[in-house]
Amino acid sequence: MILLKKYRLEIIMITPLLLYILGFTIYPIFKTVVMSFQHPYTGAFTLANYKEIIGKVEFKSALFNTVAFALISLTLEMIAAIVIALILKRRFKGRGLLRSLMLVPMGVPTLVSGVAMIYIFSMHGYLNELLYRLNIIQIPVDWAGGGLKTLLMVSVADMWKVTPMVILILLAGLESIPGEVYEASNIDGATAWQTFRYITLPLLKPSITMALILRGIDAFRVFELMLVLAGRATPVLSTFAYDEYNNYANAYSSAAASTILVVIIAVFIIGYLKITDSGEAR
Amino acid sequence: MKRIDYSEKLSNYLYLPVAVLAMIAMIIPVYILFKVSVSSPQEIMTAHPSFLIKKFTLEHWKAIFKSGNLWAPLSKSFTVATMTTLIAIIIAAPAAYVIARMPSKAKYAVVLSLFLLRMFPEVAIALSISVQFLKWNLIDTNTGLVMAHLILNLPFAAWILVGTFETIPKGLEEAALVDGAGKVEALLKIIMPLAIPGIAVAAIFVWLNSWNEFTYALYLTMSKRTLPLQTYYYVVRGGWFDAATYGTILMIPVLMVTFLLQRYMKGGYLSGAVKG
Repeated sequence: MILLKKYRLEIIMITPLLLYILGFTIYPIFKTVVMSFQHPYTGAFTLANYKEIIGKVEFKSALFNTVAFALISLTLEMIAAIVIALILKRRFKGRGLLRSLMLVPMGVPTLVSGVAMIYIFSMHGYLNELLYRLNIIQIPVDWAGGGLKTLLMVSVADMWKVTPMVILILLAGLESIPGEVYEASNIDGATAWQTFRYITLPLLKPSITMALILRGIDAFRVFELMLVLAGRATPVLSTFAYDEYNNYANAYSSAAASTILVVIIAVFIIGYLKITDSGEAR
Repeated sequence: MKRIDYSEKLSNYLYLPVAVLAMIAMIIPVYILFKVSVSSPQEIMTAHPSFLIKKFTLEHWKAIFKSGNLWAPLSKSFTVATMTTLIAIIIAAPAAYVIARMPSKAKYAVVLSLFLLRMFPEVAIALSISVQFLKWNLIDTNTGLVMAHLILNLPFAAWILVGTFETIPKGLEEAALVDGAGKVEALLKIIMPLAIPGIAVAAIFVWLNSWNEFTYALYLTMSKRTLPLQTYYYVVRGGWFDAATYGTILMIPVLMVTFLLQRYMKGGYLSGAVKG
């Protein structure tokens, strides 16, 4: 009670934020999870919603696409980010320019980047035209036609948008590696590859892990880009959930799909907490 | 004798071409978007589109300004973003101050939770929000959209602002208290003015997040579209030139602010924050 009185002002100041989070984030998620176990008409507890979506072909492909997209896009982004971060560590003319140009994708709303990618990846788009002029293809490729091609297309679109952010995280990690370590390996006559493999990579591991988990979570939630570029042809969990609610007016099966997504994200978050807790990152 | 280090040679020869390639890749989509919005249909709607802007035309821009479809979404996006920013700062700034003054263990836990709150899938939250807002008659209203945009932006604003308040020394408010000022007075006259630059940065990021927001707007809109939804509407209809022009209009403030605020675009600080 005394504590309550002493910190009265502080409690007044922080309560609106806590209430909002409870009412508009925690409770809705809880409600979505509850809904996923309810029968649409009777409200009785049932597994029918899960049975229904698991029986759907679209759901199976959504689940597969979500995981495949996460794997492809993370791999592409990490490789590109490591290469560019290493280049940015060198001193060369135009380094400042590269650094500022990296802001361009960050200054483009995700939706707009999706729109731009439509022009690049459509049948008579700029990528096909480039490949045609380079004499690599004769017949235009239908990138949005579904399957691995489409996942690859969305991954490249996603990569364009987020690689700069990953580069910034890795660059911060690279800059924290002390220069003496490199001097020592230089004196020992290590090749550039050996230095990278046995010094840079292990010391960069915390930053890489951090970026992988943060990006992993985003990759599983991907929504706008998939919706704009792939539509219903290539569903992922989030677009599947949207489709169920909006186009089939089935809030309960949408809840079931969303709950599965929540569980996957929760696993990632627990992984993140374990890693930050053991002090591997930061 | 020293072996020839091929990996070093390779990286010495290749880093410049790769850097140039990366630079080109980073501007190409923006260029293409703009190019489509200022090209004549004959240049784009063909089996072999041209890479350069051959015939610059403002016809799509003019058509959009004249059509009467631009103003309503633009003003809706602007109003919602501005209201979201005001409310987010009013609620998040005092809370962030309290969090910043907590003992470090509790503070770490709270800041981490705020950070993790942003990671829950939006479709899961938007679904029950949408069901609820249907009952409350908040679909298609600015109020409903502001309430939804606060879900993302309250924790985000609080999270950024904790950092701002941490940099203000505790001694300042203690000195004010010793001088006989009340807690509230010390806060309003000493602490808040010092925090204004940080609050301004947070406000701008919140405004952009709301301006860009797509998922909640999609769930909570039937007919009164925001600018992102208007862009998406033309994507679905296959209106290439409209989508490109609306997309460019949507992008302009974001791109400008990103360049103005570039010193705040640091890896750890904003990782996942400006994903739009």
